[in-house]
Amino acid sequence: MDWLIELLPLSYTNAVVLIGSVTIGITAGVLGSFAVLRERSLVGDAIAHATLPGVVIAFIASGAKDASTLAVGAALAGVAAALLIVGIERTGRLRPDAAIGVVLSAFFSLGIVLLTYVANFNNANQAGLDQYLFGQAAGLLEGDLVAMAALCLASLAIVAALLRPLRATLFDAEFAGSIGLPVRALELITMAALVVAVIVGVRTVGAILMVAMLIVPAVTARQFCDRLPTMLVAAGATGAVVGGSGALISESAALPTGPVVVLVGSGAAVCALLFAPRRGVAWNARRLIRDRRRAVTEGVLVDVETALHAGPPPTSTELMLASGRPRRALRRALRDLDRAGILERDGDRILLSEAGAAAAHAVLERRDLWHAWLEYGWKLELPDAREPDPSDLRGGLGDAAVERLRALAASEPTQ
Amino acid sequence: MSAAGPSSALEVRRLTVSYGSRPALWDVDASFPRGALSAIVGPNGAGKSTLLKAAVGLLPVDAGQALIEGQPASAALDRVSYVPQRDAVDWDFPITVREVVEMGRYRSAGWVRRLRPPDREIVGECLERVGMAPFAGRQIGRLSGGQRQRVFIARALAQRAPVMLLDEPFAGVDARSESALLDLLRELCEQGGSIVVVHHDIGIVRARFDWALLLNVRAVSCGPVAESLAVAKLRQAYAGIAEGMGEEAAAWIG
Amino acid sequence: MSDDLAIVLTAGMVATACGLLGPLLVLRRAALLSDAVSHAVLPGIVAVFLLVGSRAPLPVIAGAAVFAVICVLLIDALRATGLVKVDAAIGLAFPALFALGVLGVTSFAKGVHLDLDATIYGEIAFTPFRTVELLGSELPRAVVLLSLVSLGNLLLLVLLWKELKLTSFDQGFAQTTGFSPGLVSRLLLIAVAVTAVTAFESVGAILVVTMLIVPAATAYLLSDRLVLMVGLAVAIGWIAAVVGHSSAAALDASIAGAMGLVASACFVLALAFAPRNGLIAVAMRSRRRRARLAQALAAGAERG
Repeated sequence: MDWLIELLPLSYTNAVVLIGSVTIGITAGVLGSFAVLRERSLVGDAIAHATLPGVVIAFIASGAKDASTLAVGAALAGVAAALLIVGIERTGRLRPDAAIGVVLSAFFSLGIVLLTYVANFNNANQAGLDQYLFGQAAGLLEGDLVAMAALCLASLAIVAALLRPLRATLFDAEFAGSIGLPVRALELITMAALVVAVIVGVRTVGAILMVAMLIVPAVTARQFCDRLPTMLVAAGATGAVVGGSGALISESAALPTGPVVVLVGSGAAVCALLFAPRRGVAWNARRLIRDRRRAVTEGVLVDVETALHAGPPPTSTELMLASGRPRRALRRALRDLDRAGILERDGDRILLSEAGAAAAHAVLERRDLWHAWLEYGWKLELPDAREPDPSDLRGGLGDAAVERLRALAASEPTQ
Repeated sequence: MSAAGPSSALEVRRLTVSYGSRPALWDVDASFPRGALSAIVGPNGAGKSTLLKAAVGLLPVDAGQALIEGQPASAALDRVSYVPQRDAVDWDFPITVREVVEMGRYRSAGWVRRLRPPDREIVGECLERVGMAPFAGRQIGRLSGGQRQRVFIARALAQRAPVMLLDEPFAGVDARSESALLDLLRELCEQGGSIVVVHHDIGIVRARFDWALLLNVRAVSCGPVAESLAVAKLRQAYAGIAEGMGEEAAAWIG
Repeated sequence: MSDDLAIVLTAGMVATACGLLGPLLVLRRAALLSDAVSHAVLPGIVAVFLLVGSRAPLPVIAGAAVFAVICVLLIDALRATGLVKVDAAIGLAFPALFALGVLGVTSFAKGVHLDLDATIYGEIAFTPFRTVELLGSELPRAVVLLSLVSLGNLLLLVLLWKELKLTSFDQGFAQTTGFSPGLVSRLLLIAVAVTAVTAFESVGAILVVTMLIVPAATAYLLSDRLVLMVGLAVAIGWIAAVVGHSSAAALDASIAGAMGLVASACFVLALAFAPRNGLIAVAMRSRRRRARLAQALAAGAERG
């Protein structure tokens, strides 16, 4: 670990904190993904709170306050809490959130009672036990780093080795069971991984902020990835970047590490939720507005074409009455069409330009093709399960299929 | 398409609804007459439930509109009662049969106000009517599939709305209960109610319903069952399926 | 009023205020909102301290309530995107707010006496010493405040009982009958936020979280009717308050911790012995069923 610390152009403490934060980011990012996908994100919260009685019992049992003894106590309590949550859920009636809440409350209450019990016996030595939950990044030592890195690598190796059965269990536990996978054991492994992640992180960023470290990378990565392996890698990378940049910012601004890391991470998650392509809220809103507007504009184009077929060129009022469209939508559509050079005006009467006639023709042709697909698509006997996007049938089906569809539609009269 | 005119119980005009870029309903025109027992039939994924949900405003509509008794659906929600698919219900919820049926009277009571004695009378009548009065105090999770459906129909009855929309009410219901419920629905129609049911069994629709919309993303046909469910139309809607199954299936459909 | 009575009354009023709302949270699968809210209020407390420079209860409660409401609305908005499940939405929202508060404490309030324990993790043992004059008698402030909150929650439940029941049970139906599920849910969440904030100013966060979740989860195992569930949740909360207080005195341990443990013990008892849904009842039922089946099979074999 020495070489890495010396490689970084930072002071010793800062380098340790940076490496620690990145390690936690990677571990929590990868291991937290399983919890988020199982809709058990907040199990991490319960485990983090459950470490309190574990720490106190470890202290009572050993009388020592060194980090590794306390961490073992914390880990054991965390595993017990995780098992209880799974057990309570299995009894059937209670939902995961209630099970998590009950276990969290019970363990933390126990922790407080034990803490007062210890305080009554020996006053000096126990001070600071309750600080365990708040985390102290600056207190990290090189030895901690080695332990954290070892835990991190070990759990990542286990996840990598068990990726396929884990994925099967995550996606469909019943099916996984039916093909002979040890579903319960795998579930316990993911829980144990979560405990490891929490134990690694809780001393550095604190219990509450650890919850965010488990969820943020997974949520961010999920917005960009549709496959579990890529998502896990992306979550690990997100965790590393969030942890690293948070640590650097906090050092240069002289702020505590944990909160800065969490705020950087929350910012990343919010950006992902807003702007991720195809999923992001803002991205979708823009697409929806564009699509609706295009649909209305196309509809108005067809209305004009129909009116021109039926009689004299229509006025915009006549168009409105005939189509029943709201005035504002109609006006905007006409403006869009005007801009595209599709309309020509004869006083307040509306005509189509040459380009307009071609555009209207194209729209109508596309609609006919879509109707033909709905009606005769099954006769195409495509070799695969293509389900084309109605706005681009030709692109989705291929030219040959479209031509056959045309021929089918032409040969049979529509009802 | 034989329109039932402006007095239709439910009418959709050029309705288009999509999930993402995939259309669930495409440019559907359909109308269901008043006082009739109507069905929406079609293969899986044809958009049957989507049509009802869009009609009562549970789904955003891309284009087109739904009319209930000639008025835009959003303004006429008090004239329609909707029985959702039951997989959305939390059967462990601590609530009794009577309490569920009372929900049908909530709209007429309005915000904050409690139900009055006449409301409770209506609830009692509706429970009697579906044969669930003896079970009024039971928690809903402790009922059979058919009994659960009776409860939800009773809740819709309690709304006293002229138009009733039911989404797959007979899924998981035994044949005897289904038949009894259909008798009940028929009785309601005879008293002037209009009912639209999403149904999956063409044989039953043909035997027991007046009117049908055959749907496969777009409307294939809409009219009296004899016309709308004619063999040619069914072939069109169930095309791939019927073709694959050969003559036997065609005979079943016919 | 004796100190013991004051502490039990305070805890009892927390149990009442929380027991009224907890069942609805459990049924709406939002039990952990209470935990979220209890952490998310920190920036509000810090902001009030920085702006007003005081730790007087009313401004602190107001500041905390603002952030509690921000927290629940944020969770609602995150969930409404449909991109994250409710658990992840909770886990995204509250640590961010908590982090903001921690930063506020460390960068602006350093040196000033504003430690986390005393501010959000109020201590129930001190409630008897903070009193107010009311109708000529000296009453613990916490009891008065929490009685008001309980009254408010009761009012909410009485007025919106059918709306709360309807939207918790069947959102789609609620929407088609003109009762906006979103509006009702926001009202409930605001009530939760106000309750949590008021309560943990006087008794500490963990007791509030416990009282919102554990009695409600216990009552859920024991009852099949919502009214009964609410009543049971309040009653179990009171049991935890009374028994917890006396056992804390006997063991000389943390009062809030002991109450939490008693509530958890009630939960374990219910999980094991609940008449219909308890583990033992379920096991007995399946054993009886197996025995009957074996009997029938044996009878069939004899006949055959």
